[in-house]
Amino acid sequence: MPDGLLGFPDFTRYLILQHRDGSPFRWLQCLDEPTLAFLIVDPSHYVSEYAPTLSDEAQASLELDAESPVLVYTIVTIPRGMPEKMTINLAGPIVINGANRKASQLVIDDPQYSVRHSVFDSARVAA
Amino acid sequence: MLVLTRKVNQSIIIGDDVEVVVLEVRGEQVRLGIKAPKSVTVHRKEIYDQIQEENRQASQVRSEDIPEK
Repeated sequence: MPDGLLGFPDFTRYLILQHRDGSPFRWLQCLDEPTLAFLIVDPSHYVSEYAPTLSDEAQASLELDAESPVLVYTIVTIPRGMPEKMTINLAGPIVINGANRKASQLVIDDPQYSVRHSVFDSARVAA
Repeated sequence: MLVLTRKVNQSIIIGDDVEVVVLEVRGEQVRLGIKAPKSVTVHRKEIYDQIQEENRQASQVRSEDIPEK
């Protein structure tokens, strides 16, 4: 992740670890700073129609071409002790080029994609 | 901070290849045009700040708070 995450520009090397067997969650574990890790999840697990636009510069920086396998994760925030208030960040997805393992946190400036998308509220509305 | 006064249709150059043009001034709103190479990302600062703050919050998530699914 050449540019790191927003607010963490100095940390550029990460590893993705499974949280638990069968869990949809992964840890984006920083290799440069062992105490830094982000919980991430495939947004399609919670949001059915999520299609952020990949800008030309994002495609260029990830060296994406038509053939590249693309992985999209969103960062999860859970307020301390309140898992029901979990949110995912749809405005700042992490996009990975599966071919060269380059990743980048995109900035999606689109009012329909919130920085704090509440997953359990929306699940209830959908049900 | 460098402060410059510009009129509509005047611009400033940042470095060799980023140009910011004042397109329109209407009341409190200013419309800017930005010409920059594709490698330069341009965003409204609010969204940038929001994502930074959210990343900071997300870095504090505790394993014991993670739901099953």
